Amino acid sequence: MSDKTIWDKLQNVDRRVFYWILFVGLAVPFMFPLGLPVAVTPPTQGLYSGLRKLQAGDVVALSINSGVSAWGDCLPAMVASVTQVLRQDAKLVIWSVGYVDCDITYREIVNRVPEFKSKTYGVDWVYFGYCPGQESNVALLRDNIRGLYTKDIQGTPTGDIPMMKNINGAKDIAMVLTSDTGDVQVYYRNQWGPTKSSRDNFGAVKYPVAEIGIAMNLSGDMSFFLSGDLFGLTGGSRGGAEMEKLVGIKGDGTITMDSINVSHLLVIGAIILTNVSYLLTRGKKR
Amino acid sequence: MITNVAAYPTDILGITGLWAGLLLMLFIYSYPLWKENPLYRFAEHTFVALAMAIAIGVNLDALNKVAFYPLVSEGALLMIIPIILGLMIYLLLVPQYRWISRYPVAILVGSSIGLGMAGQLLPNIVSQIINTITPPKVGVAAFDWFNFVYIAIGLICVTMYFLLTYEHTGPVKPVTQFGRYFIMLALGAYFGNTVLFRFSMLASRAQFLLQVLKIIPM
Amino acid sequence: MSQIYKRELVFLVTGIVTIVMILDYFFVFSPVKDLATQLRTWALIIQLMAIGLGAINLVRVHWRNIQKRTSTWIYSAWFMVLFALLLVLALMKVSTGTEHWIYSWFFEYPYISLSNTLYAITGFYIFSAAYRAFRARNIESAILLIGGIFVMLANAPIGEVITPWFPLIGNWCNSVGQIPGMRTFAIVGTLGLLAFGLRTLLGKERGFYSEVT
Repeated sequence: MSDKTIWDKLQNVDRRVFYWILFVGLAVPFMFPLGLPVAVTPPTQGLYSGLRKLQAGDVVALSINSGVSAWGDCLPAMVASVTQVLRQDAKLVIWSVGYVDCDITYREIVNRVPEFKSKTYGVDWVYFGYCPGQESNVALLRDNIRGLYTKDIQGTPTGDIPMMKNINGAKDIAMVLTSDTGDVQVYYRNQWGPTKSSRDNFGAVKYPVAEIGIAMNLSGDMSFFLSGDLFGLTGGSRGGAEMEKLVGIKGDGTITMDSINVSHLLVIGAIILTNVSYLLTRGKKR
Repeated sequence: MITNVAAYPTDILGITGLWAGLLLMLFIYSYPLWKENPLYRFAEHTFVALAMAIAIGVNLDALNKVAFYPLVSEGALLMIIPIILGLMIYLLLVPQYRWISRYPVAILVGSSIGLGMAGQLLPNIVSQIINTITPPKVGVAAFDWFNFVYIAIGLICVTMYFLLTYEHTGPVKPVTQFGRYFIMLALGAYFGNTVLFRFSMLASRAQFLLQVLKIIPM
Repeated sequence: MSQIYKRELVFLVTGIVTIVMILDYFFVFSPVKDLATQLRTWALIIQLMAIGLGAINLVRVHWRNIQKRTSTWIYSAWFMVLFALLLVLALMKVSTGTEHWIYSWFFEYPYISLSNTLYAITGFYIFSAAYRAFRARNIESAILLIGGIFVMLANAPIGEVITPWFPLIGNWCNSVGQIPGMRTFAIVGTLGLLAFGLRTLLGKERGFYSEVT
């Protein structure tokens, strides 16, 4: 007769059982949503407050450097931020230095933000597409946008686009919103940081940069939010849900939170279970 | 050009595309949920082929805009030099002339290190130290002062832990030990945020599965 | 003599480019700015052209599989067929400016879905790692796990429903508790980069260049 206890057996459960439990646990809340409230944290509030300072005619650069694979984390906050920017009657210059599939993200943002319907392309917003080059490109864009983007995505020369007539660098742009998976906002902080923005930096000494990032970056970027190098910061789908709450829309960020509740409880349960069984079996083995 | 991915597509291309995406996703997930199998291998190779071809297309498109268009249409003859340098990098594949590829790499390395060295000083060192030593404003809650002292002491302990030019013995040992505890708390928070990141993406895949099967609206 | 243009001249080029970038950052001087902008454009063009190296290597590996009829040769054959098809369509897009519908279809559906799926697959492994490997064997791992649990309960709205202490402590961990560690990583990492950059300037760092000792 085996002397294995339930704790010993639990430690040897096939990992595929956990994978199935997880996948089903993530799917079910989409069918039966709970709709729990989301509290807003200071970094997201900082982003929202910064956007609220925009005035009509200000130009905001949106740098899409997160791929479609990071939509779950970055898209909700991007959609909410763009909604707020357009509500403030500010203009958008959109480009990407990081990911090949930014065109799809751009189209998705345009589809999901109803405020675009009352705006005119070329006058209220312009999209330049993707040009690989990371930090070199960010440094180039700081001084000479036309040097990198000679035409927009539709093939119109940059100089012929109405809203780009007086815009050619960081000094003509009020702020940068960068959505990335951890690297590109570093470049904006480094290269654009000491520049003056068109709106006198909202009273700060550093160029206003905000990060719409993945949850993993929240840990590293929090130091920069506290030091003022980032005026706002959203982390993951939770940040997206907070931004949606502030802007007053219901999007994927809010919808995903129910799934996040279940999955996080599963992980915490797994950690507690494994530690309890470890402590109990460790004592026995001694 | 296929547009408007937000709604459930009605055209045949869109519907087949959605189902192709779903099937490929299930092929990939058959590996963790079941075991390695030919379908997983097929989907894996499909992704590598697509990713590489698309990356080449996008890069060539950008090259066209940045190098060839200015050279041909605007007469920027200087663009010949980086194009030649870019071609030189392919000599990496020829052992006899491999040394020639070091020159374009030298320019790449020099520009990225130069940009990094100059740019990171201000936000990563100066700003961080200023923020650490700047006390809270007068009149704030006592807890803010606790946080200020916590961060300052923690920074010193962790920095001492990372300084390896002396042995961590004697009076230095407890300080570096505390440094380890601060690092563990930071890594724990990082782990917590990583879990959110990974599960958000997995949740969006579960959402995609339900949307394609029309169990929930797109 | 041949060593000079195979080694020393390479280090000199690296050093000059690095110094120009640093000078451009700290000084407002037109000739330096123009030279730095030109060098950055050159670096960008070299980077764009270098993608072919990866493609050539990939094709070599898979072609070898097919020639030797290894156990995975059929997958390599599929790779070659799909890669060739998409590459031709991508080149057509570059030369004509319009996307073929097959290219669009592959980009918007299979590629995007696979990209998302492969990124998300690590979620499974985190869950099994949480069950198998995350054990509090000592004080340090206990601090890591407890910090992680509080942050998770702060990130998930259900934490606040259970008790307001969870998001309170979790948000403290996020906004204060982790700051000493993360801030030090940033500072020490930058100091390391500066040391690394100095070594590169002096020609001591040779790992970038093929077969330089």
